Amino acid sequence: MKAALIGAGQIARQHLACLKTLPGVELAAVCDLSPATAEAVAERYGVPAWFTSHLAMLEKVRPDVVHVTTPPTSHFRLAMDSFDAGAHVIVEKPATSTFDELQALAQRAQEAGRHLIEDHNYVFNRAPQEILRRIKSGEFGAVTHVEVLICLDILGPNGFADPNSPHPALTLAGGAIADFLPHLASLAHLFVGSYRAAQTVWTKRKPSPLPFDEFRGLVEGERGTAALGFSASSQPDAFWLRVYGERMQAAANLFETRLTFDGPRNVPKPLRPFFSGLEEGKTIRRAALTTLLRKFKGPGAYEGLWELLARTYPALADGAALPVTANDVLEVNRMVEALKPREQP
Amino acid sequence: MRALVTGANGFLGRHVVAALLGRGIEVRAMVRPAARLEALGWPPSVEVFRADLRTSHQLTRAFEGVDVLLHLAAVVSGGEDAQFAGTVVGTERLLDAMAASACRRLVLCSTFSVYDYSSTRRTLDEDSPLHKVPDVYARDGYTIAKWWQERVTRRFAAQHGWDLTILRPGFIWGRDHGYLAALGQKLGRHHLVIGPLTRIPMTHVENCADVFAAAAADPRARGQTLNVVDGPGERIWRYLSDYMRCSGQPGWRLPIPYWLAIATVRLAFATVFRRATKVPSILIPRRFESRLKPLRFENRKLRETLGWTPPLDYEQCLARTYGPAAPAAGR
Repeated sequence: MKAALIGAGQIARQHLACLKTLPGVELAAVCDLSPATAEAVAERYGVPAWFTSHLAMLEKVRPDVVHVTTPPTSHFRLAMDSFDAGAHVIVEKPATSTFDELQALAQRAQEAGRHLIEDHNYVFNRAPQEILRRIKSGEFGAVTHVEVLICLDILGPNGFADPNSPHPALTLAGGAIADFLPHLASLAHLFVGSYRAAQTVWTKRKPSPLPFDEFRGLVEGERGTAALGFSASSQPDAFWLRVYGERMQAAANLFETRLTFDGPRNVPKPLRPFFSGLEEGKTIRRAALTTLLRKFKGPGAYEGLWELLARTYPALADGAALPVTANDVLEVNRMVEALKPREQP
Repeated sequence: MRALVTGANGFLGRHVVAALLGRGIEVRAMVRPAARLEALGWPPSVEVFRADLRTSHQLTRAFEGVDVLLHLAAVVSGGEDAQFAGTVVGTERLLDAMAASACRRLVLCSTFSVYDYSSTRRTLDEDSPLHKVPDVYARDGYTIAKWWQERVTRRFAAQHGWDLTILRPGFIWGRDHGYLAALGQKLGRHHLVIGPLTRIPMTHVENCADVFAAAAADPRARGQTLNVVDGPGERIWRYLSDYMRCSGQPGWRLPIPYWLAIATVRLAFATVFRRATKVPSILIPRRFESRLKPLRFENRKLRETLGWTPPLDYEQCLARTYGPAAPAAGR
């Protein structure tokens, strides 16, 4: 399949590095408004053509799949144009600025007989996939509740809170945190299903250009509840996922490789915490080593994006079920919409 | 004559502003919107123009009445993409604005980092090989961004027929910037001194700024690419000794022969780190060489082209760096 990419910034690097490893994928062209950025990325990843106009690229290259990795406010127009050119679209999260735009995009994809795939990368990290495997096998029991909390210092001067150059994500409802809502919602959707109701708290602890720097949400899903959160102040950086089942519980830090399970044991009940603690300690020590080694090699915390792309391309080629379906994209974004603040401060 | 200086409040930029003023050249200083300028003590004659090269839509206005651009701005912190966007895309946007103006003269601040140290033998000068595609992409984010900045600037200059001077300073040192990457590897308070007798391609910030001011005013600089070092450079062992003494930082110095260090790094890279994607720079042989390879450095072309000699000798530079602070601006 012939792939092309629009927006050769930071996250594009992960897409391109992964695409170079996928069998049957021809990385045909890249596009960026900056000629130097487009040319540099083309040279670096051995891409035969680069463009500064996405329309020119779509017309000349006729890609089967377009990766849209630009700032979020431009996704809608670029994805629409890509569907018009007959391509499937893999779009970075958040897929669009508003839910209305997403519905229009999904409608256009359906009319064109193409697919819209939003990057729900953390769903495909090893830890959530292992928890999902145990749920499917019945070992875990039905999920009652999931907690997802991202602790990330986004208040530094070089990122979202740059006082000299407003970050594009600040135009989204919720500001920089809106950039992370699809991660929270996609994991909640994975474990407790579609959203039915939500309560949220948006606050600001520290002075910065960001409208909010703390978020908490409680979601009622079709199969259980989810507590979702983002903290710009809590340190160290972490991406906690805790899943509570009727037989087991799981805890993972998706910025690392740590994943622990606690469940029934063939020991007297008073001794269960003792043996659970021993096993948990052993698992965490092993994860400490694999997290360190992961820093030297491979996509690191972006492993889920690589897995998603590795599953998506064969599915697109064979017309098989996609790892992220149109319904997944709509339901995750319906939840995202419900989590957004009602008004900016 | 009026000069537009980007990165004017940076470590080099603030000294370039002073050097230009000292030569009677009017200065328009481009600084970022949130930059604090009070401590610089610029005289009222310095016209401040606030803009961020990454996003500002007002860049064309910055060139009104400007005879020469001194482009010093670069992003030197953050990830590789942030450095590329700030340095290279910022340069594209700046030069697009210049193309819409009457300004036809440009002095670019490049760096020794654009040279391919691995392919250079004995002496590094303006004729030494530069990085090539695709090898350049195996370098650090700073090198990639500066290499591309020079590439973009040369293309613009060729396309628009501008008079371009490229100045490539070595390690720039001065007050609050006394420690140099060329000194080896710091381990807490202690230092692994790799190749202690190697000379450092160094230029004191005030000497370096003097070259920029001279190049802006001197027609002989047009079309030239010049390395900027004060001379053959001090040996690592001596400069580190002066640095530790003058800055009052105690610690041990462990000398290691360069050949032993590079052999160890090459062995580790070949056996352990070859397929690794995130390895500290000092463990990658080509990056190790660009910091520490023992070469000879000279400023013959700079001296011959501009008749330049450094205004300050080494002892004066030490005094300026570690002694009592001089007045903030002007000469």
